[in-house]
Amino acid sequence: MDRLYEILEEMQPEYDYHKEKALIDDHLLDSLTVLALISELEDEFDITVPAVEIIPANFNSADAMWALITRLMEE
Amino acid sequence: MLSYCSVEYLLVFLPVVLFGYLILPKTARRYFLLLSSYAFFWYLSGPLVLWHVAACLCVWLCGLAIDRVLAARDEALLSAERSQKKAIRAKYAGKVRRWVFLAGVVCFGILLSLKYTPFFIDNLNALLRTLHTGRQLKVPSILVPVGISFYTLMAMSYVFDVGREQRAPEKNFFRLTLWLAFFPTLMEGPFMRYDTAEQIWEVPRIKGENFQKGLWRILYGVLKKMIVADRVNSAVELLYTDFASYDGGMMFLAAVLFTLQEYMEFSGTIDIVIGSAQCFGFVLPENFNQPFFAKTISEFWTRWHITLGAWLRDYVFYPLSMSAPLKKLTKKCRAKFGNHYGPLVTSSIALFAVWLFNGLWHGAGWSFIFFGMYHFALIVAGSFVTPVVISFCEKHHINRRSFPYRLFQMIRTALLVAVGEMFFRALSLKTGLIMFRQMFTRATLQSFTDGKFLKLGMDRQDYIIVAVFVVCVFVISLLKERGCRVLDALYKKPMFIRCLITAVLVALILLFGAYGTGYVPVDPIYANF
Repeated sequence: MDRLYEILEEMQPEYDYHKEKALIDDHLLDSLTVLALISELEDEFDITVPAVEIIPANFNSADAMWALITRLMEE
Repeated sequence: MLSYCSVEYLLVFLPVVLFGYLILPKTARRYFLLLSSYAFFWYLSGPLVLWHVAACLCVWLCGLAIDRVLAARDEALLSAERSQKKAIRAKYAGKVRRWVFLAGVVCFGILLSLKYTPFFIDNLNALLRTLHTGRQLKVPSILVPVGISFYTLMAMSYVFDVGREQRAPEKNFFRLTLWLAFFPTLMEGPFMRYDTAEQIWEVPRIKGENFQKGLWRILYGVLKKMIVADRVNSAVELLYTDFASYDGGMMFLAAVLFTLQEYMEFSGTIDIVIGSAQCFGFVLPENFNQPFFAKTISEFWTRWHITLGAWLRDYVFYPLSMSAPLKKLTKKCRAKFGNHYGPLVTSSIALFAVWLFNGLWHGAGWSFIFFGMYHFALIVAGSFVTPVVISFCEKHHINRRSFPYRLFQMIRTALLVAVGEMFFRALSLKTGLIMFRQMFTRATLQSFTDGKFLKLGMDRQDYIIVAVFVVCVFVISLLKERGCRVLDALYKKPMFIRCLITAVLVALILLFGAYGTGYVPVDPIYANF
């Protein structure tokens, strides 16, 4: 989880990822950042994020992203 | 063309269907809605309704075929060794893809052949003329069923979702058909995902609260259409046909007036559509979210025609961006150009496909393709300059979250949208370019002072009525933007006040709506797509 926070802060340092719960709904992360983020997460955690998983619910907060990562790691 | 704002729909068709729905038992309500929807479709398109039935049959059968493939895969996986599972999944995924492809060929094939054949032949003839071959092909005149661009995309979203295992295939043909033919959404959307099919099939009882809120929403939509969209129609017609007679100031007015007209017509129709469904108790997805509060073009497209944007995002943009070749390219570009510009290179490829599709979806013409490319260029340019703008603002201590800066962003976005809409409305791409050039080459405001401004089929009173109503819509939008649920708040008022609100809305339509001699109501703009 710490590594996820590091990645997010490297990408877009201006937000507090411990608090933000609507990163997509509030337009804080745009589709470009999400694509860059997915590419980084795939490398870092050795997962493949299918297109169907790119929904706001999976990227609105660091917790939601971590839940997605752990689920994909288990599959 | 019959529109959702017509007397036939609002005072005859809708009340009759609501009454029938109210008195029938639950099971009969479903088939009554289905029958009513096809009666509506038949009234609009006659025997062309068979194309719709063909699309329904195709996606239903393909869904069932995918279901069989998935069942066979699950059975094969049960008895397989761990090492074999990946190969089994890949084998059956290929089979699923073949069924999805078949549905796409049939549905998009019907759409392309009915709607785009004349456009392709026109362009082929132009090419043959350029090559001096002396041959010309006959351009066929093809009748197109109403709403084909809407129901085709909805039908394909069902097949894509089944193929991705995001939803179970539909066994009941009538449930799928009712979802695809549901009369309020037939002509202008919004695009519904298949989860709404379950809700419609449930055919809830009509409740007083839903009916009241639905009625208010319908009246608000009628007001938008009849007070603004229809009232400015004569001016828009004149400015776009006789553009050579006007100066740059009037070309700017043409851009603004058409943007206003399109917004009021389309969002007003969507209000009538969502309100009609709400009267029954159905909740449809919203298609507008105060688009003129958007600060960038990409944000604008998350607020305007939301369901089309979501369709393109889910079924074109992300699948393309996440395809193996583009993922590889993203990785390479990130290493070379960094976290911002790296993904921008690859997402530009996916965005190009999205906007080409968006332009062509709106119509078979070069001006629509240009409209798509215009927005593509603005979005890519916006993303490209974002880091420069951020560092500029930091350097000059400009607070990007301050109200003046956000207001500047909103006005800039609205102006860019208006210019795009001018190309969208122009009679051809060539006339759109001439009108755009005229804005600068004949940049005077003389027409506003020499009286031409008041000879567009709108007098001083018309301009005042339009301006006052636009301010009212703006105030309501502002309230919604700040989280106020206007209809819920109004419904909490006492019965007397609620009746008064309804009476005032009806009176406003009768007093200020543009109808009768001297007015030609605007055709439903999106029903032609």
